[in-house]
Amino acid sequence: MNTKYMGKRLYRIAMQQKAFLAIIIMFIVMLFSGTNFYSKYNLVELLRSSSILAILGFGVTITIICGGCDLSIGGIMCLSGISTIMMMDYMPMWIAIFISVLIGAFIGFINGFFVVHQKTEPFIITLGMWLLLKGICQEITGAVPISSSNMKFMMIANGKWLWHIPNLIIIMLIVFVLMHILMRYTQFGRNCYAIGGDYDVAAYSGIRVVWIKWMAFVISGATAALGGILLSSKLNSGSSVFGDTTALIVNCAVVVGGTSFAGGIGGIPQSAIGVLVFTVLDNCMNMLRLGGYVQQALKGLVILAIICFDCYSRKRKREDV
Amino acid sequence: MEEKSSDLILSLRNVSKFFPGVRALDNVSLDVKKGSVHGLVGENGAGKSTLMKILAGVYEKDEGTVIFDGEQIEQTTPIESLHRGLSIIFQEFNLVNTMSVGENILLGRFREMHGMRGTHERARELLDSIGSTIDTYALVSELSVSEMQMVEITKALSFNSKLLIMDEPSSSLTDDEMKHLAEIIKNLKERGVAIIYISHKLDEIYDFCDTVTVLRDGTIIDTRPIGEMDRNDMIAKMVGRSIENEFPERPRCVGDTLMEVRNINTKKLKNISFELKKGEILGFVGLVGAGRTEIIRAIYGADKVHGHEVYIEGKEVKIRNPQDAIKSGMGIVPEDRKLQGLVLPFTVESNISMAALCDITKGGFINKAAEKKISERHIKSLRIKTPSSKTETLNLSGGNQQKCIIGRWLEMKPKILFMDEPTRGIDVGAKFEIYLLMKQIVESGGAVILISSELPEVLSMSNRVLTICEGRITGEFDPEKFSADEIMKKALG
Amino acid sequence: MNTQLILNKRHKECLNENLVLIGIVILVVITAVLEPKFFTPGNLTNIMRQFGPLSLVALGMTFVIIGGFIDLSIAGIISLVAVLTVYLIQPLGQIPALLIGLAAGALMGFINSLILLFFGAMTQAEALFITYAMSLFYGALALLSVDGATQHMSWIKRDISIFNEIGGGSIGFVSVSFIIFLVSLVILHIFQTRTYMGRSICLTGGNKVAAELSGIPVKKSIMLIYTISGFMTAVGSVVLFSRVTTASPVLGLNYETNTILAVVVGGTSLKGGKGSVIRTMLGVALITLMSNCLNLLGVSTFIQTMMKGAILVIAIWLDNRKEL
Repeated sequence: MNTKYMGKRLYRIAMQQKAFLAIIIMFIVMLFSGTNFYSKYNLVELLRSSSILAILGFGVTITIICGGCDLSIGGIMCLSGISTIMMMDYMPMWIAIFISVLIGAFIGFINGFFVVHQKTEPFIITLGMWLLLKGICQEITGAVPISSSNMKFMMIANGKWLWHIPNLIIIMLIVFVLMHILMRYTQFGRNCYAIGGDYDVAAYSGIRVVWIKWMAFVISGATAALGGILLSSKLNSGSSVFGDTTALIVNCAVVVGGTSFAGGIGGIPQSAIGVLVFTVLDNCMNMLRLGGYVQQALKGLVILAIICFDCYSRKRKREDV
Repeated sequence: MEEKSSDLILSLRNVSKFFPGVRALDNVSLDVKKGSVHGLVGENGAGKSTLMKILAGVYEKDEGTVIFDGEQIEQTTPIESLHRGLSIIFQEFNLVNTMSVGENILLGRFREMHGMRGTHERARELLDSIGSTIDTYALVSELSVSEMQMVEITKALSFNSKLLIMDEPSSSLTDDEMKHLAEIIKNLKERGVAIIYISHKLDEIYDFCDTVTVLRDGTIIDTRPIGEMDRNDMIAKMVGRSIENEFPERPRCVGDTLMEVRNINTKKLKNISFELKKGEILGFVGLVGAGRTEIIRAIYGADKVHGHEVYIEGKEVKIRNPQDAIKSGMGIVPEDRKLQGLVLPFTVESNISMAALCDITKGGFINKAAEKKISERHIKSLRIKTPSSKTETLNLSGGNQQKCIIGRWLEMKPKILFMDEPTRGIDVGAKFEIYLLMKQIVESGGAVILISSELPEVLSMSNRVLTICEGRITGEFDPEKFSADEIMKKALG
Repeated sequence: MNTQLILNKRHKECLNENLVLIGIVILVVITAVLEPKFFTPGNLTNIMRQFGPLSLVALGMTFVIIGGFIDLSIAGIISLVAVLTVYLIQPLGQIPALLIGLAAGALMGFINSLILLFFGAMTQAEALFITYAMSLFYGALALLSVDGATQHMSWIKRDISIFNEIGGGSIGFVSVSFIIFLVSLVILHIFQTRTYMGRSICLTGGNKVAAELSGIPVKKSIMLIYTISGFMTAVGSVVLFSRVTTASPVLGLNYETNTILAVVVGGTSLKGGKGSVIRTMLGVALITLMSNCLNLLGVSTFIQTMMKGAILVIAIWLDNRKEL
């Protein structure tokens, strides 16, 4: 009886955290693979490679919790990287970075204007914004990758700090903690959940729905810009081709992690796990020396499996009368 | 005079509200004393909810003055009303399903409560103060309807309300919970909170209220202390006309058994078996959430249900989906006409022809001339008020929308028509026409299963009534031989 | 007074409904004035060629969006169909290869719908991610099957006259690909407005629950939506690889955004239920004409991308304001 109960409970937890389950399965598989997966170097590398995606994911999570979504992050990413590198020639690095983040926030502000103030479909408006930004990036770079000669800029993402932890991981952790506190322990965050859960009820309870949802897009824009700057720093280049597929992957990762597209459900830690699914998968497949094409197929299947699982459990719930 | 006005928490003077073509409120004047329970009764559509929505700031009044707590109020928003001390508990719930009970109670005031722990502590206190044991960490989506009701009340209390408006708070409560509610109301009264109590159940009005106001067709008919108005008097004032005028004469053409349903068992429904006769209107009486809608959805194949048997004219039919149901001669006028009935952005024509579409299709192509003929015939015979058959249904009034759905099924000449709250939110004239349509269906050999929350409607139209409580059929009545009280008692369990 | 008001409202509605058409007319007039080359037969044929694959894929996508769903798998389908068809020409000959390619497209769409239905993905967001995953999967199959290599049609030793015609042929100054488009447009328009299944798809998009309760075959509609989309994508793919005479396994990359853009700019609402293939044609026309005009005027492709995005944002914004 008790074991049955325990089993049921475990099953329920596993069902709720499919992304986590997927990660555990991958870790177990790697135990028997005879690769260097468990080496310290690889595990650190794993975290490092997930940092930028995770930072992007945290911002997007807020918009999704508010009942929106943001596909323009790919464009914001390119633009901020390029603008930082370009502006660095004329001003100190930190100011260039700061201005680039502000540009990202401003683009988020425009997204927010259309989506929240004008009540348009977030999916398609942000998609259009991505195209627009991509065009701008191509125009200002002439579609040629640009790079900077500033070593300090490169060191932001490639350097190491305390106990030789890569800076990227530290930055990601800081953003994670800040965002988590924002969503979990502040009025703003809780109001986001209320808005995503039921927009009208939230408005009715005196929550400034428009302002808060708008701010969510601004934050998403700012984090996307930060992610873009880090990516440019990591590769020491800015290019208009960055981020073509990032937006979908990040939104996908957030949803895979357990943040519902319907709004009001999810959280920053879930998104972190969602992003990890993709980077762990990438890492495992690289370790196992799978070809790039097989990797793409497997990635598709993993997204399919997790999203379908979710849909199916909802379907079961709907039909359970 | 001076003294008297300081006694009042709320005072309305000549308030009017117009909707296109309707005068929803006409010169309404109403005074509510501090610390009193003021009953508000009236039929559906009498203007009670309009009045409340004006007070809440959802609607704007067109004329008149509102004085709340000595202050004249012009324009207001829902949240301003709340902070002023005027809370409303609506019939439909105002909770965020994905959040916890505690956060819902103190929604939007996270900072004032100093974070999550403070929120839950305060919520616990508030819940305790009305003697509720609901876990503040539970998700609202996991609560029962009555628990949600309690959370609503607690949420309203959290604003230190001076005036609390309750819109049919008892419609989904059990007896025990009712007693609880009575205590809460007494408790609030002692604290000096005034309550406007809206209910269809006259017993409650007599139990709780000090004063009662009768509203009919947007005007106030009478306001008196409760002791000065007896029951029959109240009903007469509410209805304002003899019942016979409201309903057509009951059809009398019951024949042999048409459909037999055996053993519907689901999570919610237990052992549902019943018979339906030719030419019969069978009424389902029960509370909202008792399982009335689920029964017809199960028969109709809209929910996946296994193991039950349905016989039509003695032959067993297997109904796996609505298409099968339609093939065996069923039709449904669903509960929510906008979400389940109409395809709103489509024309009247395509909405009427929807069910018959299959029959006017030849070789995959729709016969447009036939479609037009069908829709125009029904627009004419049902007197659907629409500029043309090409008008989109979202531009139609509620009654006309409902007629479109009924027209859709009349075209199919259904043997069995399920009607779930067919007259909800429809004006009196259109209601009468819908009753006549029901009569027309049964007189031409069909049968109707009628679900309605308006007891007089079911009792006046049905040939037979089944009471449903907590997913079981608890009784069968001939509405002409039993009183409404007896039937309602069974429906409450 | 009142009639005046109504008239004004009519005008406004009329204006809103035909915004895209007005945009096209203005575009054409301006370009014709600035650049006389615009109306030469050579340029007209060119525009028709450019209409090519995008318009065909967009026709299929129109049904998906009218039905209230979305299909991101077209990128993968385009690539896989191209690779498969070109691969099959050598052993089977051109007609069987063409037929198998088209059938494969339809089949892939059908598989999408089966997955959606089986797992009960009934919202646009769920469909979005599932079809995206399918796109990755189909794309990977395309890459795997040819090991990432581009197939050149000039390598093929057999007769490929059909593909040459589709890619570069024209009757008078009307290109063959445009004729394929027009034929598809007429068929699909008739299908949408006249047939039972066409109506069912629209009703499904308008209100799934109500449609189902009224006996409309909702599931069948969803299957059909994706099958049509898959088939039209395959047609688009054939036109595309015939024109460029190579079949790359990443041929369809980023096609989904452009397609959705064309459909939505035309005025088919993402909310489902409303829209038509005619509107999509206008949307495609606007986008192609714009890039043709900008090309003639010597504007860089980068600015064109930018303008595409801006037009999309503005078009949706205006479309939305109509409802406010």
